[in-house]
Amino acid sequence: MLAAAIVLLGSLSVRAAENQDRAVLDLFEAKIRPVLIARCYECHSQEGEEVHGGLLLDTRAAIRAGGDSGPAVVPGKPDESLLLSALRHEDFEMPPDGKLGEDVVADFTRWIETGAHDPRDDDAATPIAQSIDIEAGRQHWSYQLPREHKPPHVSDPEWSQNAIDRFVLHRLEQQGWAPAGPAKPDVLIRRVYYDLIGLPPTPEQIDEFVSDPTQQNYEAIVDRLLDSPRFGERWARHWLDVARYGESNTLRGTVFGEAWRYRDWAIDAFNEDLPFDQFIQQQIAGDLLEAETSEQRRKQLTATTLLALGNTNFENQDKEQLRMDVVDEQLETVGGAFLAQTITCARCHDHKFDPIPTADYYALAGIFRNTRTLVDANVSRWIEVSLPAPPEVENEIQLHEERVAAKRAEIAAIREELKPSTATAQTRTSGPVRAESLAGIVVDNTDAFVVGAWKESQFAKPYVGASYIHDEAMGRGEKSISYEVPVPKDGEYEVRISYTIGSNRASNVPVAVTSAGGKQTKVVVDQRKAPGIDGLFHALGRFPFKANEAAQIVISNQGADGHVIADAVQLVPLGESQSRPPAKVAKQPEKQQENQQQTASLKTKLKQLEEELKKLQGAAPRREQVMSVQERGEIENSPIHIRGNVHNLGSVAPRGFLQVATYGEPPEFNDQQSGRRELAEWIASDRNPLTARVAVNRFWHWLFGAGLVRTTDNFGSVGELPSHPELLDYLAVQFQEESWSVKTAIKRMVCSRTYQMSSQAKEPQVVAQQVVAEPDPENRLLWRANRRRHDAESIRDTILSVSGRLSLEMYGPTHRKGMGNDYDYRYDGLRRSVYVPAFRNSMPEIFEVFDFANPSMVVGTRTTSTVAPQALFMMNNRFVVEESEEAAKRLLKETSDATDEQRLVLAYRRTLGRTPTPREQQISLKFLADHDAGQQQQAWSSLFQAMFASIDFRYLD
Amino acid sequence: MMHAPASRFVSRRTALKNTACGFGMLAASGLAAEAARAETGRANPLQARQPHHAPRAKRVIFLFMQGGVSHVDSFDYKPLLEKRDGESLGFDDARALAKTGQRGVSKTIMKSLWKYSRYGQSGLWASDLFPEMARHVDKMCFLHSMHTDGVAHGPATLFLHCGATSLIRPSMGSWITYGLGTENQNLPGFVSISPSAGNGGPRNYGNAFLPAVFQGTALGSAGRPAKDAMIQDLVNASRTPDQQQQQFDLITALNKEQYGARGGGSELDAVINSYELAWRMQGAAPEVIDTSSESQETRDLYGIGQPKTDNFGRQCLMARRLCEAGVRYIQVTYGDNGANPAWDQHGNMPKHKEHALAVDQPIAGLLQDLDQRGLLEDTVVWWGGEFGRTPYAQGSDGRDHNPGGFTVWLAGGGVKAGHSHGATDEFGHKAVEGKVHMHDLHATILHLLGLDHKRLTYRYAGRDFRLTDVHGRVVQEILA
Repeated sequence: MLAAAIVLLGSLSVRAAENQDRAVLDLFEAKIRPVLIARCYECHSQEGEEVHGGLLLDTRAAIRAGGDSGPAVVPGKPDESLLLSALRHEDFEMPPDGKLGEDVVADFTRWIETGAHDPRDDDAATPIAQSIDIEAGRQHWSYQLPREHKPPHVSDPEWSQNAIDRFVLHRLEQQGWAPAGPAKPDVLIRRVYYDLIGLPPTPEQIDEFVSDPTQQNYEAIVDRLLDSPRFGERWARHWLDVARYGESNTLRGTVFGEAWRYRDWAIDAFNEDLPFDQFIQQQIAGDLLEAETSEQRRKQLTATTLLALGNTNFENQDKEQLRMDVVDEQLETVGGAFLAQTITCARCHDHKFDPIPTADYYALAGIFRNTRTLVDANVSRWIEVSLPAPPEVENEIQLHEERVAAKRAEIAAIREELKPSTATAQTRTSGPVRAESLAGIVVDNTDAFVVGAWKESQFAKPYVGASYIHDEAMGRGEKSISYEVPVPKDGEYEVRISYTIGSNRASNVPVAVTSAGGKQTKVVVDQRKAPGIDGLFHALGRFPFKANEAAQIVISNQGADGHVIADAVQLVPLGESQSRPPAKVAKQPEKQQENQQQTASLKTKLKQLEEELKKLQGAAPRREQVMSVQERGEIENSPIHIRGNVHNLGSVAPRGFLQVATYGEPPEFNDQQSGRRELAEWIASDRNPLTARVAVNRFWHWLFGAGLVRTTDNFGSVGELPSHPELLDYLAVQFQEESWSVKTAIKRMVCSRTYQMSSQAKEPQVVAQQVVAEPDPENRLLWRANRRRHDAESIRDTILSVSGRLSLEMYGPTHRKGMGNDYDYRYDGLRRSVYVPAFRNSMPEIFEVFDFANPSMVVGTRTTSTVAPQALFMMNNRFVVEESEEAAKRLLKETSDATDEQRLVLAYRRTLGRTPTPREQQISLKFLADHDAGQQQQAWSSLFQAMFASIDFRYLD
Repeated sequence: MMHAPASRFVSRRTALKNTACGFGMLAASGLAAEAARAETGRANPLQARQPHHAPRAKRVIFLFMQGGVSHVDSFDYKPLLEKRDGESLGFDDARALAKTGQRGVSKTIMKSLWKYSRYGQSGLWASDLFPEMARHVDKMCFLHSMHTDGVAHGPATLFLHCGATSLIRPSMGSWITYGLGTENQNLPGFVSISPSAGNGGPRNYGNAFLPAVFQGTALGSAGRPAKDAMIQDLVNASRTPDQQQQQFDLITALNKEQYGARGGGSELDAVINSYELAWRMQGAAPEVIDTSSESQETRDLYGIGQPKTDNFGRQCLMARRLCEAGVRYIQVTYGDNGANPAWDQHGNMPKHKEHALAVDQPIAGLLQDLDQRGLLEDTVVWWGGEFGRTPYAQGSDGRDHNPGGFTVWLAGGGVKAGHSHGATDEFGHKAVEGKVHMHDLHATILHLLGLDHKRLTYRYAGRDFRLTDVHGRVVQEILA
């Protein structure tokens, strides 16, 4: 207590200080300290369970240093003391459960004004935020560049098909274990078919290998499978998990009508063996890359759909928050998919486990913040851009555009001629008017708040923006639209509304204008009469507005006697309202008649031309659209958002990458571009320690059922260590050296002896006694192949292939055009699962129960659950029941002369890829025998269903 | 189905007994399913588990009033609104604030459309919007000082269910079944009755990154009659019970053979177990869902048979039956799939009455029924929407969303009865006294169930997540 006084009062003696400031010290003890203890310490003291906002209030030093947002108390300066602002519920609201009394706030104000005397000792020093040591962070294995490793020597070189096997065998030999024997040919062929193309081999394809089970024949089959279009379908689906591919948005179920193009792009990319570095670059920055052909440009644009697929909260009313949420989602996707990093942990504070400071987050966020992903509105919308058409179509489009322009020019000329005689200028323009081209402040109907069911229309022209809305002359008094127009500065404004005229319009549309001081004025508008200003806007009058109050204009259909139209609202500051030159002086009276005749003929011509234009536009060759992103006009660096709060900005973080994974020169950014291109190059580079490792590890996971690093999406410090680090490095370096060829990498893996082992063994075979023999029930050391549960797609596609109904049609949209939302959508098509619309609100049941990837998150490793709904699905679901019937029909039709024993063999080979065991045969035949001849098809159908429901159908050995 | 449900069940039960004596025992001994362990680190993830501390309640029924009921027209009495009806005044409108950062937007005050009176021993206020519920105020604990995140339906609805406005997070029912398991292994632990497809749809009962067993099970869906509500794939209309029995026996026989050929193992035990559980569920669940065995008196209590209340009455009665059968978390939704769901009266506030008529009797009936059966003691009933409505008008006779202040009530399981906590300002616009954030409500409900919201965590993508993120405070003041 005394110490504080000395500090504050300098050379004054202790006693003098005590006397002089008795009152202010009393104030602290009586009024301030008790409140701090009772109401603040729970979250803001070192004794508390958690410290919120990085703010401590329990020592003098801490309260003055403040938290993330700045000093809590500045002695003598109440206005700069955030504590006070929080107590007043201004910038923050504290305590969160309710404002303290006015008297308490007054006490705090007085305390700060009088110097914030604070006697509390500071022996417990304020913890200073630990800054992350990047260089130390680099010690983590995944942040070091992969090194070349020579395949080690092994005692049994014969066993190795390729280098992979030597790494694996070497590790097993260290353990004293032998690898499992080879899988049986019928098992292996089934395994490699599913892994490469996601479909079972037919009985003939099984025989093809079983009759010649050599490595040579095996590799020939592998080559064929890699060349099959089915390969791209299978592997694109893996990638779509990682890309959190969805074709709709959860909120409102809005359908992303063009998302399928990205799926098709991914299928082609795998089928064409697009080098993986280009695969990455196109997805992050395809719109910024040079293209030699329009086809290439199309592909590159389509790849960027990745950035737009987030399950976004389009409704968020705080659009700055929404902007940063989108950025965050993009960082989560790009960071997770390509780098297996949890970058977004650093949005609010430095990463708790990994060497990723918040500054790195905002360095990366700046790049995506420079990228526009949404068009903001009450409900924001994603961006679609035109795809370049093939040259011949492009020519046609250009020709068409020229024709339209010519027609427009003709129309404009006639209008110009008509203009003097139509002083009210009823038709200044015939089409939509861009809001940006208008004076003052314009709010279009799409940005207004709409109540009730209004119908969008583009029928009558002119209108502002994309369309206008009308109330369908229904639901009187139930519909309204309210425009909140931001007012830039205090002053008087002319308020105007635009509408399109027609004889069915209401003549008594009620409009309410709320102006300065909350004054409400009601105006009635006759929408049968043409608007006076450029045939577009009607002036409601002049009103005063204040800058801190939005102008509110509400149009309703209360008591309306016809259709009510709502389009845009315009506020024009007085002085600007003369947007047109004054009307020309009227012509001489004697010329009037002549003029009228001429006018009539011009009008007829005009009408004809307008009809021609409409026809022409109706037949327009359209450019196809694709979901994408755009560069923002203004390129800037992002400020750090303190605690992730978009309204609490700190210092600026120059654009950059993860420091800990950056080798070589710090990046230089083009100041005319977002920085995505540089980011793409940094990721898809040999000098990035993560990218190649993450990719080959994903391939390994998809082929072996577990990655060398099992946490495929997390290579950070809480991720697992690689089981075979040298092998992982070897594969990564090979991948880079072989031009990032995915097919080459996959072929190496499936042609290894390791891949071809049997999965049957329960224990590793011990061949040499080792000192430490740790058990390995999870097969991390790869002493056998893994038994894996089929994913949902393989289950569905196999059932359809057994029933003979699988359609191999490729590409294109697979949902109805113009769907409003995805609610209760059911896909009844028979195409491969990759083409089932990935609707986020109506996932097919088979996907739901068999652990399909959550289409809103990066999923490199699916969960595999075993739950009762799977059993219910197999026993009762319509799809399973129907396809079982189809499978039975097909079998009976194809085997009309066969015995049940022969049929059984075919049925088992089709469904399970093997002949029945004696016991299975006995059970099955008995089941068939229990049904009489009339029930034959039904019995077979039940049998197929039981096979679908069986253990062997569900697992891949 | 031609057979009565009861006989069907008996035949299944017999079948089960048979399997359980033989091959099923394999599964019983090996319940420690590898797959389940891999996911959750425990044997049967749905097994009832010890909470963190002594619980006051065992289960939750959440009556979701989708779209946002007006608190100033129902339970939050503000005489000043009547006095100053029609006056214009500056309010910090939540929507304007989020969009433009503007404060003090001029708005026209609108009084409650319904008259308030005091009810019960407690003398708590309620309007005659909900006359039946009002009779039960002595069972209720009103939280008049709620506030939440999200101005629009989508975000606020997700926040209500998952504690986050836009990020992909598990819903509350998933967290609770993850924390406590469930009491009846023949039924799902988390059931959502007639959920809406809109405003987040399945995400509102989704497990997100929690293991799949904690996913909510939909029973029916919004917009479809509750009398047809069913859990998906629970019944197979294309086969007779005998045929289903044969089918099940065939599957069991093949699986037994294949299980043996593969030498068993806990993962395969889990598959076998899943079939047995499915079979039991198929027997047990339809009976629990079917309300036809209830007495006429009970059905009347819920308003079943009356055109206005039949649908929601059935939903509430199903909720009671599920609750009685040991389901941990039951949500009943009064809503629809629209963008302006049910209670969302931006215009035409009088329409609130239509909705009130549909839910008032059923909810009052549910409270009475739970009370009579002694279930209210260890069941938390939670009534409320994603936000409230503004005390000022939107258009001529509507009200806009109000996330800054609104009312929910709790009843039963360890909360003070006939009690009112916190307050909004004198207009009913913003919570000012004893404020309870949605995170706090979540924390409090978890607390009642014996769970510490700070300890109920799940590690995903390198961090420990919880329902309340880094927030939440248990509202000690309302604990009985």
